[in-house]
Amino acid sequence: MLTKFQAKLFFLVGTFLFSAVFLLLTYDSLKYVYSSPSSKTLSEEVIRGKELWEKNNCMGCHTILGEGAYYAPELTKVYERRGPEWIRVFLKDPQAMYPGERKMVKYDFSESQISDIIAFLKWNGELDLKGFPPKPELKSSTQLVDSASAAIVPPEKFKQICTACHSVGGAGGNVGPALDSVGKKYDLAYLQNWLRDPQKIKPGTAMPKLPLSDSEIKDLSSYLSQLK
Amino acid sequence: MKYKSQKIAYWFFATCMLLLSLQIVYGFVMGFARMGFDVLHDWVPFNAARATHTNLLVVWLLTGFMGAAHYIIPDESDREIYSVKLAYIQLISLIIVGVVSIIGFHLNFWEGRKFLEIPRPLDYLVVVNVLLFLFNIGMTVWKAKRYTTTSLVLYFGLFSAALLYLPGMIQFNSQTVDSYFRWWVVHLWVEGVWELIMGGILSFLLIKLTGVDREVIEKWLYVIVGLTFLSGILGTGHHYYYIGVPEYWKWVGGFFSMLEPLAFLAMAMFAISMYRKSGRNHPNTIALFWTIGSAVMSFVGAGFLGFAHTLPQVNLYTHGTLITAMHGHLAFWGAYAMIVFAILTYAMPLLTGRKLWNNPTGLFAFWASNIGMLGMTGAFAVAGIAQVYLERKLGLDFLTVQKEIQVHFLGLILAAIVFTSGIIAFIINFARFGVPTDEALGAEQASGDISLARRS
Repeated sequence: MLTKFQAKLFFLVGTFLFSAVFLLLTYDSLKYVYSSPSSKTLSEEVIRGKELWEKNNCMGCHTILGEGAYYAPELTKVYERRGPEWIRVFLKDPQAMYPGERKMVKYDFSESQISDIIAFLKWNGELDLKGFPPKPELKSSTQLVDSASAAIVPPEKFKQICTACHSVGGAGGNVGPALDSVGKKYDLAYLQNWLRDPQKIKPGTAMPKLPLSDSEIKDLSSYLSQLK
Repeated sequence: MKYKSQKIAYWFFATCMLLLSLQIVYGFVMGFARMGFDVLHDWVPFNAARATHTNLLVVWLLTGFMGAAHYIIPDESDREIYSVKLAYIQLISLIIVGVVSIIGFHLNFWEGRKFLEIPRPLDYLVVVNVLLFLFNIGMTVWKAKRYTTTSLVLYFGLFSAALLYLPGMIQFNSQTVDSYFRWWVVHLWVEGVWELIMGGILSFLLIKLTGVDREVIEKWLYVIVGLTFLSGILGTGHHYYYIGVPEYWKWVGGFFSMLEPLAFLAMAMFAISMYRKSGRNHPNTIALFWTIGSAVMSFVGAGFLGFAHTLPQVNLYTHGTLITAMHGHLAFWGAYAMIVFAILTYAMPLLTGRKLWNNPTGLFAFWASNIGMLGMTGAFAVAGIAQVYLERKLGLDFLTVQKEIQVHFLGLILAAIVFTSGIIAFIINFARFGVPTDEALGAEQASGDISLARRS
């Protein structure tokens, strides 16, 4: 059997050897990171965004690159998922976007701070993460309405904000109900009133009052009313 | 106890118990928030509770390790602690750093990197504090009448823990590099140098409790810590799969992570076989429970449950979900919390001279806290598996999934109540010992420890 001296040798040689390999791989990994395209897009804005991210301990609820707490959504691909416009509206008043749901602290970020955070999230979303986060392979892809055949194309705002929670033709979020046949249920006037202040029509609804201008409301409701 | 200065250990242990109680309170705050009762949101938002919960864990375990060192090192070195005054200064400064950090977390003052939330200015204080500790313990070992493997391994572990705190203090602009070096601290602590500390404490306890020859135990200690480093250093790679570093980390990390359970398995087998070899029955059975329990539970929690999601193909789906919380809870409990409880249970009768061993409260503490922790792990596991399938496989929205799994947190809270009742029993027992007295000097005689130490 092993003597104490041999056991000690095993410990010392093992530790030294594997530390050396680890340092070598670290050198190679840093070389890889600093020569990858992401290091060229690492702007001042992104760095300021990262500082804000850390200063407010966003990782205490969210995860990014899969790291952090698991209380709030994974944000690596949030830029791709929600788009800058939605994130901007959300960060101005997080609780208004999800009334009565799990709460996020309302930080009083300035416009430029929000831009920095968005830049940080965009930068992280563009990293080569070797397939993370995985695409949900069992997701159903039923087509309810052929959105291409609609007479009016979806307004820009719809794509930026509404699709975060609602889906049309199987594409979009699943927080709110699918909007494929919303035009059958509600007329134009109702939809306009609804978009102006959902809480007034149905107190306690999860639908937030969105910062929309009158013309945007008109465009959105005429688009929605033709989804039959 | 053999030396007067070992009494300092008591104050570290008492601080330990206090911080642990606070950690549990914050755990409940988070458990209720997850069930939808986030009533404290305005005062203690989730991120504040989370930072406090995890940092208290780190601080109370470190305090426990320091207490253990203050008990073990004089015993192993056959001399008093180098400076008692320094030990008290160090303990008090540690408490100050802890209190300021915790208050800071509630005022949005932190560094915001998971597990390393302590604000940067306080990091420097931590460094000074740890240097004080290492100097004091180091001088004790240096001037020792004898050098034992146990004390050297323990000291090397504490020293490396301090050294590896530094990479976490460097600022990086890239999230990838930031993450890379954050794991140098977190992983290499938890799966490297802390295991060294645990191994040191474990072998000290086995020598004392089983009476097996020191040479035999210390030889296996080398093999086990050797295995730990062999697998643990490159095993850091399992945190590097998806952060934007080269692909080969999947192979390196995956392979060495598969070896990581071996070190824990060896630790469990070692503890059990030493217990079987033991030629005598130590009267402090509960200390033996905690010691063997720690070796076994660390294999289950850190080894087995860790392995359950470190393969890259599995980790792709479980990374960043409640599965991590499942593994984390049992791993920390088994490997580190239980070993601190073991040294505490062993040392308290000897520090105070009160032979309060093997009472029903102590036995209840052991079983209730272990059953409670297993229940909590189960609740996290069920919630985590459901989350992975609904969110990562079916593509449901994060918040929709969270509503689906809310009910499992009722299970978590119930198990946490069982766990907490065990911890309360442990603390009641701890309080019943009272403070250490000089009259307890040479108390080992009563339990026969002295004769054992001589025999080796």
